[in-house]
Amino acid sequence: MIKNREAIAMVRMAFIFILAWSSSICAQNDIARDLFADYRSAVLQIRIIDLTSGSKSAIGSGFPINESGLIATNYHVIQLAASEPQQYRIEYLTETNKTGKLKLVDVDVINDLALVEAVDFEGQFIQLATQEPEIGMPVYALGNPLDLGLTVVPGTYNGINRASYHPRVHYTGSLNPGMSGGPTMDRQGQVVGINVATAGNQVSFLVPVSRLHTLVSDYRARGAAIENMQLHIGEQLMADQQEKFSSLFARNWQAISLGEAQVLDELAPFVKCWGGSNSSDDKAQFLSADRSCRSEDSIYMTSTFATGILEYQFIWLEADKLNSWQFYNYYERLFGDFAPGNRADEEDVTGFQCDHGFTQGASGRQSKNVFCLRAYKDYPKLYDILFLQGSVDDKESALISHFTLAGVSKENGLAFTRKFMEVSQWQ
Amino acid sequence: MAVIIEVLGWGGKRRQYFKIDADQVSIGRGYDNDIVLSDPYISANHLRLNACGDGWVITDLDSLNGLQVIKNPSTDESLFTSGAEIKLGRTKLRLVAESYPLEDAKILHGLERDTNKLNRLSVWLPLLVAVFATQLLSVYASTLAEWEWKNAIPVIVSAQLAIFVGAIFWSLLGRLIRHEAHFLGQYSLILLASLLFTGCSWLLSTLSYNFSSALFGDMVQQLASMSILLLLLSANLTLATNLSSRARWSGCAAFVGVVVIIGSVGQMKSWGEFSPFPQYSSTLAAPALLVVEGQTSEEFLADIDPLFQQADRAALEK
Repeated sequence: MIKNREAIAMVRMAFIFILAWSSSICAQNDIARDLFADYRSAVLQIRIIDLTSGSKSAIGSGFPINESGLIATNYHVIQLAASEPQQYRIEYLTETNKTGKLKLVDVDVINDLALVEAVDFEGQFIQLATQEPEIGMPVYALGNPLDLGLTVVPGTYNGINRASYHPRVHYTGSLNPGMSGGPTMDRQGQVVGINVATAGNQVSFLVPVSRLHTLVSDYRARGAAIENMQLHIGEQLMADQQEKFSSLFARNWQAISLGEAQVLDELAPFVKCWGGSNSSDDKAQFLSADRSCRSEDSIYMTSTFATGILEYQFIWLEADKLNSWQFYNYYERLFGDFAPGNRADEEDVTGFQCDHGFTQGASGRQSKNVFCLRAYKDYPKLYDILFLQGSVDDKESALISHFTLAGVSKENGLAFTRKFMEVSQWQ
Repeated sequence: MAVIIEVLGWGGKRRQYFKIDADQVSIGRGYDNDIVLSDPYISANHLRLNACGDGWVITDLDSLNGLQVIKNPSTDESLFTSGAEIKLGRTKLRLVAESYPLEDAKILHGLERDTNKLNRLSVWLPLLVAVFATQLLSVYASTLAEWEWKNAIPVIVSAQLAIFVGAIFWSLLGRLIRHEAHFLGQYSLILLASLLFTGCSWLLSTLSYNFSSALFGDMVQQLASMSILLLLLSANLTLATNLSSRARWSGCAAFVGVVVIIGSVGQMKSWGEFSPFPQYSSTLAAPALLVVEGQTSEEFLADIDPLFQQADRAALEK
């Protein structure tokens, strides 16, 4: 993604949590009222307590899924305690102001799920649905928005969103900060999804309950809590990127034209492309057309670190009224302005290491290539890779190709680069 | 015995001198004196000198501000011998005999001998035109909007003005120290250095674009510009001062050293600082300036392999 460039009209998910919506349908209200009454004691507030200050540093929601006190929530709710167990502990708070300690036993960072266990928990639990509801069915999200107390939000189940690699249920209803990790239930009071994110204006996302089933059965099969959380998360990231890139490499990489060049089209249904040009600008001295593609599968690691994104971008430039020197001056400025699309901090990654060189493509075109990468400090053998290619043999037109892969192995990163260079060609 | 009375200026330099072949010399502001000085702190009839053996005896004629002895080589306090320095009012005088030893004549510096060449219209005008043209070209090349002279002129005029002010500074200094301004000489020198700098950085950036070697990296570019600065300063000083060549070179080197240190301290803040943005070579140049052949993409991918090991090592140094 180009720095300082106006973001394209893309849907950006934000991690959630509130409510301010009431259904006009009486029947829905009745069910909402009943569900609220029946399950109010089973929806917990999950609090992350800073041991030094003794105060809560983060809150979310969670719910018991069996009688022995196994509680489901989001990974991003308990992330502080997972990363720094010596600094934070996890607590629950019931509707009746009962508190108790929780122990983190398993996580699924890819799907933003976590399992915590209460030691001597006595209370109601919520059953997980075994079947996906039909699209259009009314469902009800429960949680603790903004620490305001338990809330129920009626909405509609809109099925698994095909526009994301990791399955997410599109839920039409308002989720707000603090509701993360809470259950979304059907009329029968069975969990169909776990509240996770919102894109604003009634567009919200749930983790499908099937992912929670998988996590629970993995945990049961293991029979013990995860000892080394960092290693476990690293393995999940490694396995997820391996699966994702294998499926990408198995696809047919189609090209689409941009200017005189052929560039990579939408790689998979979960990669969305957008485009634009300056052709409507009368004062423009040169012509610029671009195509940016991005998968929205950002995996939450910490508040300053996200991984899992895949983005690529092409910019076609024509000198038009500029002479060759002016054109290359502009081109150089643009070429120097690329940055990765995922955020990361010093604690998470190394600084970028870059190398560059000229290549001659199959068509004989000369390009300048820049390859930059940074390694993940906590998860060995995973990298963020930024690749940049600019044609350098035409006086009056140019093609910039760029991609960023976040959280990729060396083999997949190199294989992607190779294929990307092959497909995107300017004959 | 003839007495030579020198009026000293800044830095002990002779500003004016009087040579009088008489046994008695009167000094004061009044017109009836042998030596008439205009310093308002000097009385109308300030003092009188009388030759006496190898030196002179000074008699203060009841002057308002009196006499201050700065230096007197004689062992006898009442007798002033050749080389004595006195101060009356705000004026410093030196008394010398004709036999007073002189320093050897200095060799004229080659640059100074040739400075007249720099003064020639046929030298500085082409230099000026060349500098003007390169500046115009660089402004033109970096303009992406429709060309308008009104945008370009302020940039060029201010750059030319800076060169002009530099030349004025050095010629004023020269005027003060050596009574020689050499304005055109100084001006041509700065023009020449600016051309050299432009040419050098263009050449180095073209080389670094083609051969991505540390040989043409930032360090070398800095080194080249500091060398040009050193040469320019030394040449400026040659024209403006009487410094010996050793003093001149060491002074220039010290100055450049200070510039380098200040620059490095400025950069030191960002050394080792984490950046979420990649720092990569973004230089692109028109195809005419590209002389190397590209590798195959496989060769390129093989070359970047060590980056992974580097990053792995960096990741371990948490």
